[in-house]
Amino acid sequence: MEPPNLYPVKLYVYDLSKGLARRLSPIMLGKQLEGIWHTSIVVHKDEFYFGSSGISSCPPGGTLLGPPDSVVDVGSTEVTEELFQEYLSSLGESLFRREAYDVFENNCNTFTNEVAQFLTGRKIPSYITDLPSEILSTPFGQALRPFLVSVQIQPPGGSPVGRPNGQS
Amino acid sequence: MPHVISRMPRMAQDGCPSGLPANKNISSSVTRVIVKTAGKQEDFMIADDTLVRQFKEKLSTHFKCQMDQLVLVFMGRLLKDHDTLSQRGILDGHTIHLVIKSKCSSRSLAHSSRNLLTKEPCHRDRNTEGNSNGVYQPAGVSHTPVESALLVEPDAPKMHTQDLEVDSPEYTAQILQNPSIQQLLSNTDLMRQFISEHPDMQQLMQQSPEVSHILDNSEILWQTLELARNLAMIQEIMQIEQPEQNLEHPLAHTGLETMPGGDNALGQSYVDCNDQMLNSSQDPFGGNPFTALLEGQVLEQVQSSPPSPTPPQERRDRLPQLPTTRVIYTSSRGLSSITSANVTPNRVTHTPSAYATAIPAKCRSHTCPIQQPAGVPALPSIELTQQPQAEDKDGTISLDSSDQKLEDDLQASDEQSSSQITGNMMQLLLSNPYLAAQVMFLSMSQLSEECRQQLPPFLQQTQLPDVLIALASPKASRAILQIEQGLQLLATEAPVVLPWVAPYLWGLGWLPAPSCSHPDTCPGPGMCQILLNPKIPNAATSLEPSCRRYSP
Repeated sequence: MEPPNLYPVKLYVYDLSKGLARRLSPIMLGKQLEGIWHTSIVVHKDEFYFGSSGISSCPPGGTLLGPPDSVVDVGSTEVTEELFQEYLSSLGESLFRREAYDVFENNCNTFTNEVAQFLTGRKIPSYITDLPSEILSTPFGQALRPFLVSVQIQPPGGSPVGRPNGQS
Repeated sequence: MPHVISRMPRMAQDGCPSGLPANKNISSSVTRVIVKTAGKQEDFMIADDTLVRQFKEKLSTHFKCQMDQLVLVFMGRLLKDHDTLSQRGILDGHTIHLVIKSKCSSRSLAHSSRNLLTKEPCHRDRNTEGNSNGVYQPAGVSHTPVESALLVEPDAPKMHTQDLEVDSPEYTAQILQNPSIQQLLSNTDLMRQFISEHPDMQQLMQQSPEVSHILDNSEILWQTLELARNLAMIQEIMQIEQPEQNLEHPLAHTGLETMPGGDNALGQSYVDCNDQMLNSSQDPFGGNPFTALLEGQVLEQVQSSPPSPTPPQERRDRLPQLPTTRVIYTSSRGLSSITSANVTPNRVTHTPSAYATAIPAKCRSHTCPIQQPAGVPALPSIELTQQPQAEDKDGTISLDSSDQKLEDDLQASDEQSSSQITGNMMQLLLSNPYLAAQVMFLSMSQLSEECRQQLPPFLQQTQLPDVLIALASPKASRAILQIEQGLQLLATEAPVVLPWVAPYLWGLGWLPAPSCSHPDTCPGPGMCQILLNPKIPNAATSLEPSCRRYSP
């Protein structure tokens, strides 16, 4: 029996602020943030991410964010593409529905964390997942919270995944 | 940004609970396994050596599906039926992922086929596909917002550099153009809270309470910002501060340290003087040119209170030049010759000093309204502008009641100053006969010959001090103005009547005035001669344009 195929799993990390958070966070928040992180999982030559319109996929680096600011090697997986799609569709109907998007509690990084654990058993780096709590622990973040609740992040360039009838 | 790859070995241990080593050696112990599926997770207590197949059976009954639908994934590895849990390293507290495949496998095929189909075109023109998704893209926004990242649309060429450093001010300007950022910034309460609650800002406010004073008073804040925007003003302030600081701090930049406090004081005094100037005079630079002189008067009073404000000083220095420029302007209009304009500034610049110093009114008030039609048509303009003011002095239609008294004082000195200026003008013309001839030649070419004949006696007459004093009185000049206006009116309405008026004027001219001790030297007939000389039928009418030109 041939060894099962191992597919590499990568984590694409984008800084949504394009360096501004790194410069302005000491002034605005009082603590140093390196960036406003948006992440996506790349496996099977596809990039998968979660936004305000649900789970989407695109070719790697194919969103309007362009190429990622950094790439993290998460590991490798035996999960086939087919199985992965199944998994994603089940996620898309449960935890990561389109309306379940919450910029603090259930955002793109939450999704990426879940998927990474499914695929490889590993989590994504904590500096990414700790970002919401970092921001909310500052008075500025607390002040901005009602404003940010309505924030919807959806990098354009992807197509919906895991939704019946392909609705977005 | 911490490099993540180095943390990978540690990541593997992140999923491991702390209580591992204890259970490792115990075989066939019951372990608690977390099974995660489709957004929910459940705990299962199973034995270590349970076969995966057995586990699957258990799960299938639990999740109500068939065994072949179940796929177990642990650490990225698919669990085969013949493996045991312990073989795969599944220990207590580990999470096993479960995927329940749909019964209809065609659906999964559809997903993959769709994926395959979309892949090819996507790879080729992924940028255009992204750009064509126009629903999500706000028009004209090409930068990433910090807080409200509604949509992200960076420039493709920019991204290739993967440059996280944003040092260019243009980029910041771009950020500021983002409407969501603008919306955030326009929320004044939020911005005020944000600024005032920042620890560094609070520290600054403790050090210099002026800063908090600036922030609290929005007017001062606005004015300070306006002041700061004025680059010339900043330079001025720096130049002021620098010489003061030179002794103590030879470095140039240390002068700036005093700017926050000094800036406010200067700005405040600047604003104060501005307000006072605006309050004291209606229209500093338009309309009546001589109110500018009076502004200087007002400012001199104000100067005593504010502490060394340079801008008002500069204004004061600048202001007395304004009436001179105005006079030059009006005179140049009347003279309509460049050479005369060149000559006048040299002379006329003396007028401010003449004004500033006490000039005995007897010798220097040279207003000769009678000369005006014959000589310098510019002078009527000055006189005319003064007369209506004298008329309106009591009315004060457009003046505030609070400033009325000030305006009255201004009026009185107004006429005095105007008379002095016109007197100096006359002085100029008298001392330069060629210039005077040129003036009259240009203004009234038709009357040139006769005017030249009449000039010498006029000039002699104007030098008589009594006559000049008489003419300097406002009522006299008002009367002369009325005569002039009457003649003008006659000229327009009934030019033929003019010759009949001559005897009246002639008679009036020879009547001795109460204050006039030399009746035979009264200049009345001179004017009439010129106006009503039959040789010059158009004398009166030719005067009209010049009069109309300069009438207010």
